[in-house]
Amino acid sequence: MVWKLLRKNISPVQIAGYALANLIGLAIIIGAVKFYTDISSTWHDEDSFFKKDYLIISKQVSTLQTAGVNADATEFFPDEIESLKQQPWVKKVGSFSSANFNVNMSMEIGGRGMSTYLFFEAIPDEFLDIAPQDWAFDPEHPMIPIILSKDYLTLYNFGFATTRGMPQLSEAVMSTLPINMTLTGNGFSETYPARIVGFSSRLNTVAVPQQFLDWANERYSSGEALNPSRLVVEVSSVGDPAINKYFDKYGYEVAGDKNDNSQAAYFLTVITTIVLAVGAIITILAFFILMLSIYLLLQKNRQKLHDLMLLGYTPFGVARSYYVLIGVINLSVLVLAIVMALWASSWWAPRLNDIGIESSSPLTAILVGVAIILVITLINILSIRRIVHRNFFD
Amino acid sequence: MKINTIKLQQALPRVFVGAENDSHVHVSEVWLRDLTLTRPGHYLVEAESGTGKSSLCSFIYGNRRDYIGRIFFNDTDISTLSIKQWCEIRRTSLAILPQEMKLFPELTALENIMIKNRLTNHYKEDYIMSLLERLEIPDKAHQPARRLSVGQQQRVAIIRALCQPFDFIILDEPVSHLDSRNNLTVARLIAETAAANHAGIITTSVGNALSLDEIDDVKPTHIKL
Repeated sequence: MVWKLLRKNISPVQIAGYALANLIGLAIIIGAVKFYTDISSTWHDEDSFFKKDYLIISKQVSTLQTAGVNADATEFFPDEIESLKQQPWVKKVGSFSSANFNVNMSMEIGGRGMSTYLFFEAIPDEFLDIAPQDWAFDPEHPMIPIILSKDYLTLYNFGFATTRGMPQLSEAVMSTLPINMTLTGNGFSETYPARIVGFSSRLNTVAVPQQFLDWANERYSSGEALNPSRLVVEVSSVGDPAINKYFDKYGYEVAGDKNDNSQAAYFLTVITTIVLAVGAIITILAFFILMLSIYLLLQKNRQKLHDLMLLGYTPFGVARSYYVLIGVINLSVLVLAIVMALWASSWWAPRLNDIGIESSSPLTAILVGVAIILVITLINILSIRRIVHRNFFD
Repeated sequence: MKINTIKLQQALPRVFVGAENDSHVHVSEVWLRDLTLTRPGHYLVEAESGTGKSSLCSFIYGNRRDYIGRIFFNDTDISTLSIKQWCEIRRTSLAILPQEMKLFPELTALENIMIKNRLTNHYKEDYIMSLLERLEIPDKAHQPARRLSVGQQQRVAIIRALCQPFDFIILDEPVSHLDSRNNLTVARLIAETAAANHAGIITTSVGNALSLDEIDDVKPTHIKL
């Protein structure tokens, strides 16, 4: 009966206008958050750990160096590394250290033995965000763990094995192959078993634990330690133009397409942020429409609210129907917005999948939507409560 | 809250501040006096227009607070009551019939009564229908209030005011549009209900007063506002 009285001045057009506007705003926000979590989830993927914030840099190799002149020009000297560390966009710098001794690898594939000279590199563990099992070396029970570039496996499988009549190998098989490494230098020559513990499509080298390489260089290296020729740099924002400027100035090269990928990711983030802002603006405007509508409604029903309270109705008793109305509208908007956003994400998910980005859980996006609706509803209810209370006394 | 006394202590509507020496305030037995109303007493407040009779009702009912001086329920200054307490009082201790009746025009006569009664669960619908019959408007029960004459609206509003337990009932010109026969019927109903509640009656008039005088055993106190 109270509802019959109070619903009278409710304007369905205003309510519909609000619901539609808020629906669009909220769907955009939830969608954008979903999109953002989708694309940022790839940054945490094992394979692409170098993609987001890590750059691998080296110096350009010139013809002179090939000819043997100025051979140490591709090394990074300590003062260069120090200068790099001083840049505001640099968070951390790690060096690739290389083996200063001879490595010979031998293995048996399909009954045929093969052996080849090899090299080792290592980077500090903190720059590895994959942590394969057994990523350590114990001289007492020697077993060298290796992370191999996927590219090498591809080269072998499709470039070498097919033309030489060798069996093709899967990653799993490769990991079980018994490998022997013969390390030679400083008057020693010793053979250790080794095992491939992981493949990386980003780390373009034959990587061993830093701890092992330090130990091996100590034992097999005759000369003094080499300066690193490659650095891994953790940067705060890969899209920062200052980075490219600095690299150009000193003639540093960024390995592979990582930088391009990073920039693509950076621009995706920027675009997502813009979309998010648009959604937020629409939602805020919709919120104001609703507030205005509520104010008008309560203004028109001022006398009725007052008279009901004159009969002994509590402010909550008279406002309850408005709370229910707001609650139902906002809840429907939320549900519809989530459905719309997820529907949109089901559209882009296969497309992102094509470029190797897997869909993420929609939980964050849904939580963001729920939080926004909760805040809106709370403010709505509080302002209705305030107005009704103000109408209690004449 | 059981209200046994309503006490006015030097009360005066704010609009009269500065006019304390005007004749109507000067002769008033209410404004700027100490006045105690005790239940189950019956009080007939007689006033001329513009002397603040509806203001008095609104002050006591907690609807308006634009007065100076103090008003007490028992020993409680009513300006200290919270909204929650007022709502409670309006459901259990104080009944009111405002002069403008405040019926909702879009609701029927019966709905107007039930909107109060469902709050207090005081009467069964059958009993309310019998009250409408007693006041000779049973056929108006399902008519929208806006279609009723002022006299009919007054009777609906009176029944609505009775749909609750009360210690005092405040009636602001309850019978201004009723003939003397209806006036007496209404007066009897109110006096009976008040007696059943052991309650006080405060009624105002500018001429056509509620016929409490004509009921046996009822001796209302006349107060000049």
